[in-house]
Parts: sequence; C-alpha cells; structure tokens
Amino acid sequence: MQLPSFEYLRPATLREGLDWLSEPGTDTAVVAGGSDLLVNMKLGLVTPKRLVSICDLPGMQDVTEDADGGLRIGAGCKLTDLLQHETVTGNYPALADAIRAVGSQHVRNMGTLGGNLCLPTRCWYTNQSEQWRESRQPCFKTDGELCHVIKSSARCHSLNSSDTAPALIALGASVTLASRDGTRELPVADLYFDDGVDYMTMRPGEILTEIHLPPPTGVSAFIKVAQRNGLDYAAGTIAGWFDGAAARLVLGSIGSHPVSLPKAADLVVAGGLGTKTIDAAADAARADLGEVSNLFSPPGYKRRLARSLVRRVLEQLADLQGGGK
Amino acid sequence: MSRQIINLTVNGDRHEIAVAPNQTLLEVLRDELGLSGTKRGCTSGACGVCTVQQEDGRAVLSCLALAVEWDGRAVTTIEGIAEPGQLHPVQAAFLEYGAVQCGFCTPGLIMTAKALLDTDPTPDEAAINEAMAGAICRCTGHIKVKIAIREAVQQALREREPDAAPT
Repeated sequence: MQLPSFEYLRPATLREGLDWLSEPGTDTAVVAGGSDLLVNMKLGLVTPKRLVSICDLPGMQDVTEDADGGLRIGAGCKLTDLLQHETVTGNYPALADAIRAVGSQHVRNMGTLGGNLCLPTRCWYTNQSEQWRESRQPCFKTDGELCHVIKSSARCHSLNSSDTAPALIALGASVTLASRDGTRELPVADLYFDDGVDYMTMRPGEILTEIHLPPPTGVSAFIKVAQRNGLDYAAGTIAGWFDGAAARLVLGSIGSHPVSLPKAADLVVAGGLGTKTIDAAADAARADLGEVSNLFSPPGYKRRLARSLVRRVLEQLADLQGGGK
Repeated sequence: MSRQIINLTVNGDRHEIAVAPNQTLLEVLRDELGLSGTKRGCTSGACGVCTVQQEDGRAVLSCLALAVEWDGRAVTTIEGIAEPGQLHPVQAAFLEYGAVQCGFCTPGLIMTAKALLDTDPTPDEAAINEAMAGAICRCTGHIKVKIAIREAVQQALREREPDAAPT
C-alpha cells in the first residue's frame, strides 16, 4: 500500500504548528509518531492534505517531575522511552503495563503516548482496503448513513482500542490541549465521546501537548486480554486504581470510548478488596457496562470478559496492597 | 507535492536523496538506493519484514517511517550488519540452526533479533518473545528462530568469557 500525496510540515514552534493546523480549507492533520495515522492514510480512511509533525517541538519529548510530586509527559514521548523512566515504571505500574501492551516493540519504538491517546476508533468494516470497503454500502464512518455492526443503530460503533487511555483515566491523569486561543487542561476521562465517528472531545485546531499524572498514591494495575500476547488489538483491557479512600476501574477496547465502572468502584471503596467485595464488584461491572455491540466479539463474551477482568484486576490490586491477603 | 533533499546515512554511507513527502523509508531504501534486502510486506506495521535499526540500535518499521523525517539521520539495514563476505553472529546462528523457511521474513527477523541483542545482550525467554512478537514468519517457523537467537546469545557469552557460559 502506498501513501497518498500530502505536504509535510515541521513547525519550529508550537505556535507555528497551531497556526498551520488552523488555516482554513487546508485539511491539516497532526502526526506524532505516525505508526497508526500512516496506516489509515494508506487505507484511504483519512486523507489529510497536510501533516504537521509535532514530535520535534521543544519540550514535546520531555518527562519532568512536578513540584507537587506528579509527572508531566510530553505528548511526543516515544512509548519505549517512557518504559526507561523509573518514575513511570515504579510509580505508575498501570501506565507502564498499558504501554507494554501497545503494538509490538517496533511500534513502541516509533509510537508516542500522545498518539496512542488520540488513536482513531476502528471497526472491521472500515479498517480494510479501499476495494474491500467499496463492496459495501458506505457507513457512518465513510460518510454514509448506517452502521454495519448494528444495522438499526443511529450511530457508529467503532471501537476505541487505545491501551494507555484506560490506564491514564484510572490513574486520574489529565492532558493539556493547546490552541491559538491558549491552553486548557482536561481529564483524560473527558477526552472521549461514546461515538465511533466523533470520538474525541478535542476541538478543531487543538493539539494535545502534554499528559499530566497526579502524585502517585495507592496501587494500580492494568490487564490486557487479546487473542495473541504480542502485536494484537485487545479483546478487552482493564485498568484499576485504589488508594483506600477512592477507586477507579476503567475498561478499554469494549466500546467506542473507555468505559468507567463507578458502581464496581464504589463497592471497592465501601468494602475494600476482600473476596466478597471483589465478587460483588465483578457482578456490578455488568450493570456498569450497559449495552455492548458485537464488533470483534459477541456481546455475551464481552460481558463475561468485563466481569472476569474486574475480578482479575481487583485481585491484583489486593495482592499489591497487602502483599497478599 | 515538492520533493525535498534529505541527508540519509545508510550503513555508514551518506546519501543525498530527493524524496517526496509521501515516500516511506522503505521505498527510499528499496527503490531509490536499490537495497532490496529490506522487504516490503504488509506495509501496515503488522509483520516486521521491513525492520531496520535506528541510531540507538532500536528496531523500527521502515514502512511506517516517512523518509522526510529521516533527514540527518542514520539507518542500518540487513546489508550493513556485517562486512562483505562475512556473517553477523545472528545470521550465522540462523544458518547453523536452519531458522529459515521460505526466507522472505528472514531479513526482518534477523534485524529484529540483532536490535534485541544490541540493546539487551542477554535477553531471557520473555524478552526474546516480546521482541520477536513484532516480526512474523508466515511459514510459522518460529521455534528454530528462537533456538538460533538463544544460540547467538550463548555464542556471544562464550566469546566474552570462554569458561563461564553454560553450553
């Protein structure tokens, strides 16, 4: 597969990049690594006429510790580089394990954390060659008016398969979004819409520049289940965090956005990480999950998987918290 | 779509090449420089046959690297891992243990294994699995590949400390 034609721009400053991104009628996209964007461009799924590369911008590959004990990660940090930071691997194990779960080592050597957070949703009806797609009617994702996954649906059910998003949400991370009007801070949990086409809450002209982790507290863990251990999209992922007073559980690769499980988390906050509470939380996950599509796996499997992932991640958190029960 | 001159060092040789923005490093290596050892496979980052090494020794996929982003950089391809007429220890181990079936993925597997050993000279089983997961033999000949990599590790240990390494 060959890349379509485009213009490649390397801004010297963030301001210049933002100006280029906002120029009307230019169809400009941001690239930060490109291991996913270039594939989608080869498939003809996205056809930007200009690419603005942000990885070489000043500070974009920095990892700095905050005065408050938190961590600031430049959006252009290569995933492999982050695994060499002891602050990441030691203080935020859920994030480290999520990073290890992304693609293959080759992909992690090229891909960035910002890029993984902005990963486009995918579907087996659209993430195919152009010829393959032409054999079907256009769907919501390809400017049509139907969803091949759920025929009666009024929306697109493409899946968010970012491995790092659930981990960052569980850890309470936020991102900095820069635009020509200034910057705003947004919790990663608020970065996504539950919609396969309109999947990110970022506004046109915005660039995700930084990921901000709060000071490390409590215990965290991440689990990915896929058909193969290496280089595969997940059938489901879960990230969990618990510090005794608050808990967060987030499922990934199950729907169009990372799915938080507040009922299950509340049970953990109230009852701790004993066997009975874990059982109850796993059962509650089903109610939290709501409706799921049959994209990539049947809904029944997804619900059972969610239950099992909650149980497994809570058991891991219990082990981490008490060194066993 | 204007072409841009890039300075690219390939296996120690410096090249000045005019590239289009939509040309990948793979296309430049194969089509402009005639280095066809790096293979064109899935072209979507799933198979690893296009693996080359960047400056720090890490394995990257040349099919997903834009040539314009390699201006001023250096890359090592399968053609450059040993002196002409010689074999790199990983190549020698692949040969010795028959870690080749149809051979199409072999350059990618060897570059991936070499990148692993360059960054971690004594990888354990899990590290080998993790690194090689991104380079696929579609003939499914992975067992002998792993045997060859393990043997290349042992061979390097024997050469460094002739008496210490287990056989």
